[in-house]
Amino acid sequence: MRIDRLVTPWAARAPDRIAVDGTDEALTYGQLDTLANRFANALRASGVRPGDRVGVHVPRSARTVAAMLGASRAGAVYVPLDPSSPPPRMRLVASDCGIRHVVITPALLGNWLAAGVREPVEHFFLVGDGAAPAEAAPAAVHPWAEVKDASAAPLEPSGQSPDDLAYMLYTSGSTGVPKGVMISHRNALAFTEWAAETIALSDADRVASVAPFHFDLSVFDLWASLSRGSTVVIVDETTVVSGRRMVDRINAKGITVWYSVPSALVLMLDDGGLAERGAPSLRTVFFAGEVFPMRHLRRAMAALARARFYNLFGPTETNVCLAYALPSVPPAEATAIPIGTASCGDTAVILDPEGKPVPDGEVGELFVDGPTVMLGYWDAGRRTPAKRPYPTGDLVSRRPDGELMYHGRRDHLVKIHGYRVELGEVEAALLGHSGIQEAIAMAVDQQLIAVAVPADPGVSVLDVKRYCATRLPRYMVPSEVRLVEALPRTSSGKIDRVRTRTAVVAADWSLLRPAQRAEVRKEP
Amino acid sequence: MEAQVKADIQQHIVSTWLSGDERGFSEDTDLQESGILDSFSTLALIGFLDKTFSIQLEPADINAQTFRSVATITRLVMEKLGRNGDAR
Repeated sequence: MRIDRLVTPWAARAPDRIAVDGTDEALTYGQLDTLANRFANALRASGVRPGDRVGVHVPRSARTVAAMLGASRAGAVYVPLDPSSPPPRMRLVASDCGIRHVVITPALLGNWLAAGVREPVEHFFLVGDGAAPAEAAPAAVHPWAEVKDASAAPLEPSGQSPDDLAYMLYTSGSTGVPKGVMISHRNALAFTEWAAETIALSDADRVASVAPFHFDLSVFDLWASLSRGSTVVIVDETTVVSGRRMVDRINAKGITVWYSVPSALVLMLDDGGLAERGAPSLRTVFFAGEVFPMRHLRRAMAALARARFYNLFGPTETNVCLAYALPSVPPAEATAIPIGTASCGDTAVILDPEGKPVPDGEVGELFVDGPTVMLGYWDAGRRTPAKRPYPTGDLVSRRPDGELMYHGRRDHLVKIHGYRVELGEVEAALLGHSGIQEAIAMAVDQQLIAVAVPADPGVSVLDVKRYCATRLPRYMVPSEVRLVEALPRTSSGKIDRVRTRTAVVAADWSLLRPAQRAEVRKEP
Repeated sequence: MEAQVKADIQQHIVSTWLSGDERGFSEDTDLQESGILDSFSTLALIGFLDKTFSIQLEPADINAQTFRSVATITRLVMEKLGRNGDAR
């Protein structure tokens, strides 16, 4: 099976069912199927060959889905480009994997051209009828009509295999230089089939699309939904920044399945009235991408008592490889929940630095093998096959009951004055404080520094340090605690560690504005 | 004199280890229990005291009791200053 074939049977069976419900346009299965064929024909006519990379630089909408599906039907590898990313970064990505064709909105094309980015792109395909920039030479600009009026006849599939590349997701690796994670059709479907089976996803479901398309969470939203005849409900970029708007969208559309980073759920609790208003249609909540602070998880589960919660785990390179279905709301004294056991037909082993399996209860690095493990990286213009089993860089341990527990990133293991300090543990301790909303820790010049967002202005640095001292060995208590208004985020909604660290090192407090301080009681 | 010494020490601790956030901090705050002093920050604090008050703290002066709080450190510093005065 290939992802470009998923929609066709539903277009035949239920052509009038809504496939993608976007903010200003919805497409039925019949319309999505037809528009995808038009994209495929238009791309093919301008020289797209099987295996070519096609960039898709369009905010999330029904047409964006049709563009990705169409590129795939033309035999191409679609590369979702972050709509919020600056053009120079787009150039890095386009040059890295040789993107000659980009599907783009007129406004975003304007940004590319203003920044002087053309090469190596030869063809821009406009989505929508905005004013097209006059001059893009030597690249050709194809107006929307060229897609809209292209043939809707299905392209003849020619010798395509499930092990072909389906799409690439560019991640910014630890060095900050983006590299492409190469995912085959088989890789993607191993995950989406497992997920759809696990929750018995059906044509009665309305699945939220919260994550950006360049973020791997979106793979479920799109391809699991479209494989089961469900409706994908776009929760667009202007909605995901507001808890209230997200709750509105869930309730207005009767969304049944939600998959996001924990912060989106926290935002709905803090700023969307989720606990008071509820979201009775939700039956499944998947979360992934970062640790869900226990306190907030308990709040979310209490607010959505009818929904089953799942902790999904895995780097982009393995998609989801572990999963844990929460049996009930974790007790108040619980400090962490498992990341679960191997899923999607994968196998997980925990190895020590010498490559030997560690005994139960001991921490080692998680290695994963199986059908979801990427084909490899597209990096600096070259394809590098994935190591197998794949070293995730995540530190985990196995409990006696077989569930795996997360202990942070291997690359977050730092040494301070000779002590090994796992930054994830420091962060977990900070998040255990009821007055701390978000926190990250870092080592700078042998100093352990914490940057935290207080939940209320009465929290003082002294409170935080004292709390840490009750939970952590002394050498793991941050020597500096910065209380700030907010932490910078990546476009996928995760805390942006790189930018936070850069700001701390440069002592640039414009990005990290000090949190408000309210007077607190003096010590007795 | 003692009030000034105390204020200097307190201000140094608040600005160095509490990011300038003095809320909740007093001369009786337990510096170990509150995670402010560990072996490295204690060394740094000794350096500050020696330099600021022109004293010479000896290993025998430094223990959990004398370095418990701003109040106990002030007492220690005053004692050292007094002895130096006697010697003159």
